[in-house]
Amino acid sequence: MSWLRAWGRALLFAFTAAAAALSFSAYTARTRSLAMRQVYFAAWQVLPGFTLFAALLSWVVIQITVSLAREYNLAQFALELAMRVVVLELVPLLTALYVALRSGAAIVTEVAVMAHNGELDELRSANIDPYEREFVPRIAAAAMSVFALTVVSCFVVILIAYLVMYGASPWGFSEYTRTVALVFSPGELGGFLLKCVAFGVVVAVIPIAAGLDATKDPRSVPVAVMGGMVRLFVALAAIELVNLAVKYV
Amino acid sequence: MDREEYTRVPKNLQFRVGLLLGLTIMVAAGFLIYALYARGVFEATQRLTLVADNAEGVSIGMDLTFSGFPIGRVQRIALGEDGRARIEVDIPRKDARWLRNSSIFTLERGIVGGARIRAFTANLQDDPLPDGAERIVLRGDTQEEIPRMVATLRSVLENVEQVTGPGGSLQASLDNLRGLTEQFGGKEDARKLGAVLDRANALLVSLGGLSRRMDGVVAKTDRRMFGADGVVDGTQRAVDQANVILGELRESLKRVDRILADAQSVSGNAKAATQDLAQLRAEVDASLRKVSGLIDEINRKWPFKRDSEIRLP
Repeated sequence: MSWLRAWGRALLFAFTAAAAALSFSAYTARTRSLAMRQVYFAAWQVLPGFTLFAALLSWVVIQITVSLAREYNLAQFALELAMRVVVLELVPLLTALYVALRSGAAIVTEVAVMAHNGELDELRSANIDPYEREFVPRIAAAAMSVFALTVVSCFVVILIAYLVMYGASPWGFSEYTRTVALVFSPGELGGFLLKCVAFGVVVAVIPIAAGLDATKDPRSVPVAVMGGMVRLFVALAAIELVNLAVKYV
Repeated sequence: MDREEYTRVPKNLQFRVGLLLGLTIMVAAGFLIYALYARGVFEATQRLTLVADNAEGVSIGMDLTFSGFPIGRVQRIALGEDGRARIEVDIPRKDARWLRNSSIFTLERGIVGGARIRAFTANLQDDPLPDGAERIVLRGDTQEEIPRMVATLRSVLENVEQVTGPGGSLQASLDNLRGLTEQFGGKEDARKLGAVLDRANALLVSLGGLSRRMDGVVAKTDRRMFGADGVVDGTQRAVDQANVILGELRESLKRVDRILADAQSVSGNAKAATQDLAQLRAEVDASLRKVSGLIDEINRKWPFKRDSEIRLP
């Protein structure tokens, strides 16, 4: 029953944060600076390492797919399969998981400590809305970070797919373009964008909502962090499952 | 809130974050434009509708290939009013030149993978395929062929089984053969076979003599035909004489030619003479008319004599 209540609180927090994001007073120099710092930590710092990781992983997966497909005389489907599995599903999910693991954990701990220290109560007593001041910039920054990391790493993976399939030869370009046309239909692109945004929002909303569960009791902090991380993982998996079900079932 | 102590923030933070977001937007927009280009949004296309009995295996986005190269893409599949599948294919204008009025379209389904739509153009000088053309697509289906092939193969195997099985015709033939060889098995039969072989040998010896005699006959014929005063020689002489006679005949014919030419000139004179006769007759006619007129004049001028009779000299 308690996990249901926790999910309910997370949902309520999401609505409140959305309402706060729509108010003009949320867009101040201070919140902008906070959001920029968050994007810097969540995306810029990890960009080279994460892109390299995504490139290596996708290179191995695409190489296996292409060589197996060639072995079974199905090479014409290899590129499409690689794009659908790696570019559209694997890399976005891995990006969201990575940001969740790195920034989500930091955010939930930070908010839990703030709740434990009574910083949030101080803000409220000073008549400052903690949603506008602390939460909305973090959510926006997390969504932007996930989106930026996903777009850049997917782009690199698309280039790697070409190199694995055709090598450095430019003559595979027209066939490659046809496969891109086949895979990236307008609906598919729209779904991809929606999924990226959903991943980004969830990566920030669920940890902050979980961090707010912490009380003055110091033992409540690790419980809040653990609950937040588990719910975040479940939410990411659920988004991916729903996305797959809509597309292929 | 002094968390900055643990996480150092660089001075050009704004620039770096701006660069990252700018790069992201550029890549996303660039890929979006590339995807639109790949889907042929910026390309003029023409429509071709293929009508098939069964569009199973056809999917939207499938290629229409010509000589193994994709030249068009399936945009829409619909069930027509007549219950047949209508496959609408968009063909870029620059690739449409491979399709002519006489082009043939086939829909093939292999064992593995989706269906394939292929175009064949025998005559590239034919009129180009018009926009919005509608063509029947021919089907070739491996999966439909296999059961038919298996059924045929089964009947063939049944026939083979009937032939080779116990009581089959092959078995009966082999039994007959075995009976025959068994009949040759006794010593009496072996002796008979020996006698047959001896007689065959004797026959071959006499045939050898016959062929020697035939050789002699051929040699004699050769002499008679091609030797001195042989048949061929006599024939040669006869041919020479015939040549001489033909030469004389040719001379005679030349003379006849000359006589005929004379006769022709004579007949030409006769023709001229007949033309003169016609002129003479016309002159006589004119003279007679003049005499008649003279008589009428005399009759008018001669008051006493009422007798109109005139005696011509």
